[in-house]
Amino acid sequence: MKILSTLILIFTLAIGTAQAQKFITKTGHVRFFSSTPMEDIEAHNRQVNSALDQQTGDFVFRLLMKSFQFEKALMQEHFNENYVESDKFPNATFTGKVTNIKDIDFAKNGVYNVMVEGDLTIKGVTKKVSEKGTFEVKDGKVIGKSTFNVLVEDYGIKIPGAVAKNIAKSIQIDVDVNLEKLAK
Amino acid sequence: MKKKWLIIIGGLATVGIVTALLVYFFVYNKPHKDYSKAKPDFEVEAIAFFEEFRTNAAASSTRYNGKVIAITGLLSSVEITDEQVVAVFEIDEGMFGSEGIRCVLIPEKAEALISIPPGSSITIKGHCTGYNETDVILEHCSIVI
Repeated sequence: MKILSTLILIFTLAIGTAQAQKFITKTGHVRFFSSTPMEDIEAHNRQVNSALDQQTGDFVFRLLMKSFQFEKALMQEHFNENYVESDKFPNATFTGKVTNIKDIDFAKNGVYNVMVEGDLTIKGVTKKVSEKGTFEVKDGKVIGKSTFNVLVEDYGIKIPGAVAKNIAKSIQIDVDVNLEKLAK
Repeated sequence: MKKKWLIIIGGLATVGIVTALLVYFFVYNKPHKDYSKAKPDFEVEAIAFFEEFRTNAAASSTRYNGKVIAITGLLSSVEITDEQVVAVFEIDEGMFGSEGIRCVLIPEKAEALISIPPGSSITIKGHCTGYNETDVILEHCSIVI
């Protein structure tokens, strides 16, 4: 009996571990976009880390603020030095969950709508967010996409009066990550 | 008398226009720093540099973030995608797979890297954007000969 229960335990653990498949990327893409009548500003970060746990739906992002590239060097400087103070707050993170992870069949190619909830931390300020996105399952890979907005003042980012007309209060964020199975 | 005023006004206008153009080109529209020509603020060895961040991220970030770093180490691999070429120093294993240093190449400088076999000792320099708890990231990188 003891041998049988030990075997069952090992078997269960083996299945459990095998199912805890992680999908990751280190080159995720996050773009933010601000549009006002005065000007459009956008920046791209292509060094975004992201990980998805297939079983639990745990979904995390981590990026370095200094990795946002702007077309205008002066804008990049202002962004880092004045708006997000990237010397003080080098990272932005999201820690959350895909709440409907069970709806996704990772073995079947297709586009699935996902609901993601969690904590978004920018400039040391954490806020709960709940956003929609899509997961495209394609030959064992997961392409995650989402577009949502954040209010800059929610994260303690103050826009000086002089440029208030140039920078939108609500910034559009586009997320595009190609997640691949983490080799064991 | 009238001619003198015209000359003065004309002169002031020219100075004004020239100043505006200078501000436009050198301040507002100033070019991005050419990191391939920049002198390194620090010259470091790959493993030691990574360990500094892993041991004390806050102190290392204060010291190195935003600076030009020249790193010498054994090249582990090169990742090539449509969007970028990344030289990777793999130093340890972690939650995200390998951990170490990732150097994103300036597009024009990427070709020099492709002919270097993995395992070779290289010196690569770039702009340190920080440590994301997994890797130290350098951008605008170029090989130092």
